[in-house]
Amino acid sequence: MENNTLDIIVCIKQVPMVSELPWNSKTGTLKRELAQGMMDPASRLALEAGLRLQRAGQSQDRRIRVTALTMGPPMAEEVLHQAVSLGADHGILLTDRKMAGADTNLTSFILGRYIRMFKPDTGLVLCGAQTSDSETAQVGPQLACELDFPAIGWASDIRLTQNALVVTRLVDDFMETLEMDLPGLVTIDLGAFVPRYAGLAGVAQAFASPKIDVVDADDLELDRNFNALEDSPTRILDVFSPATQKESRVLKGAAKTVVDQLFADYGKIISSAMGKDLKKK
Amino acid sequence: MDFNPCMKHQVVRKTVREFAENEIGPHAASLDREGRFPTEIIEKMGPLNYFGLQVPPSLGGAGLDTISYAIVIEELSRVCAALGLCVSVHNSVGLYPILRFGTDEQIARFVPDMAAGKHIGAFCLTEANAGSDAGGVETTAAKTEEGYTINGTKIFVTNGGVCDVVLVFAVDAGGKEQSRPNVFIVEKTCPGFSVGEIEDLCGMRANPVSSLFFEDCRIPETNLLGKPGQGLKIGLTALDTGRIGIAAQALGIAQAAFEAALSYAKERQQFNSPLTKFQTIQNYLADMATSIESSRMLLYRAAAAKDKGGDFGAQAAMAKLSCSATARTVTDLAVQIHGGYGYSREYDVERYFREAKVTQIYEGTSEVQKMVIARHLITRPS
Repeated sequence: MENNTLDIIVCIKQVPMVSELPWNSKTGTLKRELAQGMMDPASRLALEAGLRLQRAGQSQDRRIRVTALTMGPPMAEEVLHQAVSLGADHGILLTDRKMAGADTNLTSFILGRYIRMFKPDTGLVLCGAQTSDSETAQVGPQLACELDFPAIGWASDIRLTQNALVVTRLVDDFMETLEMDLPGLVTIDLGAFVPRYAGLAGVAQAFASPKIDVVDADDLELDRNFNALEDSPTRILDVFSPATQKESRVLKGAAKTVVDQLFADYGKIISSAMGKDLKKK
Repeated sequence: MDFNPCMKHQVVRKTVREFAENEIGPHAASLDREGRFPTEIIEKMGPLNYFGLQVPPSLGGAGLDTISYAIVIEELSRVCAALGLCVSVHNSVGLYPILRFGTDEQIARFVPDMAAGKHIGAFCLTEANAGSDAGGVETTAAKTEEGYTINGTKIFVTNGGVCDVVLVFAVDAGGKEQSRPNVFIVEKTCPGFSVGEIEDLCGMRANPVSSLFFEDCRIPETNLLGKPGQGLKIGLTALDTGRIGIAAQALGIAQAAFEAALSYAKERQQFNSPLTKFQTIQNYLADMATSIESSRMLLYRAAAAKDKGGDFGAQAAMAKLSCSATARTVTDLAVQIHGGYGYSREYDVERYFREAKVTQIYEGTSEVQKMVIARHLITRPS
């Protein structure tokens, strides 16, 4: 942090809008080629956290710059425009065919390489705790390792003091408050905030004067033989939808008999769903 | 020629859809049932620039292009057509004429509050004996030493019950320019202005459509919009713009009905098969989708023509004619696909069905749109 200025990088991922995706019942996979992209909900909350710090900084006369950073295909630029329309100062798209197919390990490596090379003064990195498409929760912690930053995961609130970041998070059934020196990395839990809506003036402005920089493998000085798909240590062997079976059963007889039978056969399931033991009076 | 939406238009659509589905959607059915104007939602929309869609940012607006404007109205109407109507009318015929024809003083005085959604706009042309025939207007404006005195009654005014600023179409009281109407900016605080009862309409029930009364209503001279006798030009320009909005509204209703019908047809089982297995239903769905897509192309073409400048009136009329007809046929088929449930208030398609009809009536009936299109065809140089 220099001259009362803090540079925040928010890592954002474009994920498929699963609700609108056809499901291939034979292979059990999503037809991603038909996917409409959307900003990952947890990334959206990380951005919201950054924008709240940005606003709080204004009232404290601190200059807080928020940069949205994403890695993905060219169409991922869309989420950066959304980030700028929501209030980010600018966006960075890391895109190159050599980066395609990166697992969490190489994604963290590439994000970290960009930050080290181009944003060495970064004071805080914010990530969603886990993305809605892969749900590994690995990129945040791995990126912290890449940057040699301290990291706190699953934050529900963050607040800046003069020299540090105060982080609140829910652990089991109690709240924990931690203080972290900067630079550092925090992942934001889903449900931490209610994210703001973008104003239409913000959308128009985001496209009227684009603030998106595109960075490729050459800019990052990646090895010319670099191939994220082949170099990634993770191998996904299979993705499938767990089969569920619905079965209808009609209980017949007098009401008392039917109710007794219902609880005898399904009492445990009903108790579990209701969260209490139905045998207790 | 690229028929794919650009990234900006995709982001505009997603931005509006997110807000509409989260903040308006859960209330759309009850607003219709109760005939209630949702002030609390309007208050949320103001800061997000929904009431200054094409107003320059320097005046507090969003500064959007017209395709974006159409997408905004389409997406709002897909969720709640009555609210889409409010935003459309406010922006197109309430606010746009002031921006286009107003003096610097009028723009500075009226536009910022309207763009912020603090003041809702309306436009009134229709009277008991005038509507499609603008020449039949009987509301008069008499020049006085202080300004103008307006007398008359306007009916079926969209946003009438909640408007703060209304553009009034009136002819000169007994003057030699009686055949040349003027448009006046009337504020609800003007003495002699009052609002009639809210109309009990078939659809758009969350919009407070009402009569407006002008009884010796006094307004300052500075509230004349444009030059004296320019009313017809202002009115026609406003209506051309308004038609893009109403076309977008109709398209949004059609899109909602189509999505509901498709979803229902996939789930509803008859003869041990989902409805989508039946060829008749497939034909319905194919016709609905084709009609929606072709209307959408006409709408965006008209919107793009407006941004290019020049005359876009015929294209706007074609878009409005096509989109409103699409809304009627698609909502009809959506009810048909739903069967008995479609006739029940339990399902949204009956609301879409009621809402679609009026898009063929207001902002120029379908018959008037054909007159506009035909006039363009006949009079343009061959």
